[in-house]
Amino acid sequence: MADKPLLEVRDLKVEFRTGREIVKAVNGANFTAYPGKTLAILGESGSGKSVSAQTIMRLLQIPPGAITGGTAMFHGVDILKMPMDEWRQMSGKKMAMVFQDALASLNPVFTVGWQIAETFRIHGECSRSEAFDRAGALLERVGIPAARDRVKDFPHQFSGGMRQRVMIAMAVALKPDLLIADEPTTALDVTVQAQIMDLIKDISKESGMSVILITHDLGVVVDVADTVAVMYAGRVVEGGNVIDVLQQPAHPYTLALLRSAPQAREKGERLQPIVGSPPDLANLPTGCSFHPRCAFATDICRRQAPPIKSVAEGRISECHHAETVHHEPVHA
Amino acid sequence: MNPSTPSPAAAGKKPILQVRGLTKHFGASGGFGLTSRSKVIRAVDGVSFDLYPGETLGLVGESGCGKSTVARTLLRLEEPTAGQALFDGKDIFTMDGAEMRNLRRRMQVIFQDPYASLNPRMRVEDIISEPWVIHPDVVPIDQRPDRVRDLLESVGLRRDHAERYPHQFSGGQLQRIGIARAMTLNPQVMICDEPVSALDLSIQAQVINLLEEIQDRHQIAYIFIAHDLSVVRHMSDRVAVMYLGRVAELGTERQVYGSPRHPYTKALLSAEPTINFTNEMQSRRILLQGEVPSPANPPSGCRFRTRCWKAEERCKVDIPELVVQSDGDGHVAACHFPEPLSTGPAH
Repeated sequence: MADKPLLEVRDLKVEFRTGREIVKAVNGANFTAYPGKTLAILGESGSGKSVSAQTIMRLLQIPPGAITGGTAMFHGVDILKMPMDEWRQMSGKKMAMVFQDALASLNPVFTVGWQIAETFRIHGECSRSEAFDRAGALLERVGIPAARDRVKDFPHQFSGGMRQRVMIAMAVALKPDLLIADEPTTALDVTVQAQIMDLIKDISKESGMSVILITHDLGVVVDVADTVAVMYAGRVVEGGNVIDVLQQPAHPYTLALLRSAPQAREKGERLQPIVGSPPDLANLPTGCSFHPRCAFATDICRRQAPPIKSVAEGRISECHHAETVHHEPVHA
Repeated sequence: MNPSTPSPAAAGKKPILQVRGLTKHFGASGGFGLTSRSKVIRAVDGVSFDLYPGETLGLVGESGCGKSTVARTLLRLEEPTAGQALFDGKDIFTMDGAEMRNLRRRMQVIFQDPYASLNPRMRVEDIISEPWVIHPDVVPIDQRPDRVRDLLESVGLRRDHAERYPHQFSGGQLQRIGIARAMTLNPQVMICDEPVSALDLSIQAQVINLLEEIQDRHQIAYIFIAHDLSVVRHMSDRVAVMYLGRVAELGTERQVYGSPRHPYTKALLSAEPTINFTNEMQSRRILLQGEVPSPANPPSGCRFRTRCWKAEERCKVDIPELVVQSDGDGHVAACHFPEPLSTGPAH
C-alpha cells in the first residue's frame, strides 16, 4: 500500500439528535480508499456504514443529523468543509454513488435516457442531442440489450437488475475517480447480483476507478474487494487486506461473524451465533462497545476504549486482546 | 440430520403432506371483470413434493419462482387454481371450516417480517396465547399465563417479556416471539417463509439454532423457504429448487448441492458468493444471461431455456418432466440434457 490514498477519512463522527436522546451513528471511523482499488465496508444494520457513506457524499440530512468531528481528505481537500456549490461541481465528476433501491433513486416521470443525459448537461459537457447519444452508449456499456431503443423507456419498464445497471451508468457517466456503492445488490437475486458485481469490477478495472463497497455480505466482500474495513457501533474495528482479515481476523467481532456464517459449519452442526443484541447507539457500553457480546472480554475492556493496534503489515485491530485473537483459528 | 441419511421414502416412512400438481394462477378467474384483458400470472404451475414427519424440506429459488405462493396456498391464504395437498391423506383444498380449524393446529407458519406479523397493540402474553382463544381445549385457562412464560423461555426470552409490547424488542427477539406463537398448538408441520432473511448474520445464526433445537425436541416437519442457499443447505434434509413456478430439481441436500443435475441449480450454486478463498469457485462461476422472464408470459417448453447454455430446439417444444436421476432414489430433475454426475466429493 505504498500508493497515495485517494480518500482518507479520519475520526469521522456523526450524530442524530432526536427528541430525547443523541444517537451516535458514527463514532470516530477511519478508513482509506486507494486509487484503482476496491474497499469494502462490512457491517450489520446500525453499524454506521451507510451513514458514513452518506456523510462523505454530503447527503446527510442536517438536522437531525450533525457531523461532530473528523475529516475526509479527497484530492488534498477536506470535502466535509467544502462549500456546497463547490461540492456540487465536484460530485459526479470526481465521486459518485449508487444506492440499494434503484427504483427509488430514479425519477419515474422521465425516461432513463433523459436522466442519464441530464448528468452531462448539468456539468455542461455537451449539447442535448450529443448527451442523448452518449446516454445510449453508456446503457450499451452497462449491458442493457437494445440500449439505443431503451433510452426512451421509463424506469418502471426496466427490471430490478436493469435499473441497477442504469444507476451504475449514471454514476460512471462522468468517469469519477471514486464510486461509492451502498448495498448495490442487496435487493437483487443471486444470479443477477453476480452480473452486477462483475459489471462494477469490469468498469473499475478498465477505467482505474476506485470503489467503496458498502455491504453486510461476507461473500460479496471476498468476491470483489481488495481491502476491508469492518464496522461495529460506528467505528472501524478491524481493517486490512481482505484475505488476511477474513482468514486470520484480529478482532473478536470479525472472528465471531465468520464463525456465525452457516457456511462455516458442517451439516448437522449447530451454528455459533454472536450472543446478545446489537448495541443501542444512544447508550453505548463503556470501554469497548463490543465487550458485552465478546468471548475475550476482560476487566480492561469494560473500563477502557481499546487503542488502534497494528497486528501485521497493513492490518489494524481495535481490541485490547488483538494479538490473542489474531492467533485464534477461525474454524474452532 | 446425519448427512448420509437415505431419503425418507427409502426408509419406509409415510409422508405427512403430499402435494400433487399444485397450481396457482393469479387473475385467472373473477377479478374485477377484467379477466379477458388482463394477463394470467402463472405463479405456481404443477408443483409436486412430499413432506415426511420430522424432516426439513428446503424450498429455494429466486424472486418470482413461486416459493412463497406455494406456502400461502398450502395455508389457504390463497385458493389454488388446481392440484391437491393431502395432509395425512385428507386434501387441504377441499376441507370445510371445522376441518381447517383442526388443520391449523397441526400446521403453523412463521413469516419473514417479524415487525409486520405481530400486532403492535397487543402485549406479548396476548399474542402468544391468542391461538388458545380459538382452540380453548389445548391449554386450560388457568395454566395459560405459565405456559406463555414457559414458551418464552424455550425460545430464549425471559419470563417477564410477556408483559411487553412488540416495539420493545429487536428483530431477532420478535422472530422468537413469532416462533413461540407458532408452537402454542404443538404443530406437526411448520411452514417457515424466509424466517431469517430480515435478520443480521449474527442474529440469524441464533434463530437458525433455535429452529433446529425445536425440531429436535418436537419432531416437527419444516417447509423451509429461503433464497439464501447456504442457510437452506444448513437447515434442510431435502431441497427443492424452483424456477418460474415449477420444481427444477429435488433431492437430498447432498444430491442437490453436491451433484446438481439441472443447469439452473448448477448456475444458482455457482453464483452465490462464498467465503471460501480458493479460486475454484470463482473459476467455476456460470454467469447467466439476463433475468428471470415474467411469469405472465413464461417461455414455451422448458422455462429455463431462455437463459440456459445447453438449450436446443427440443427445449422449446417439450416440457421436461421431473425424471429420476441415477444417483439414488428420490433425486429428480426436470431437464432434457441433465448435467453429468459429479465424481468429486460432495462437500
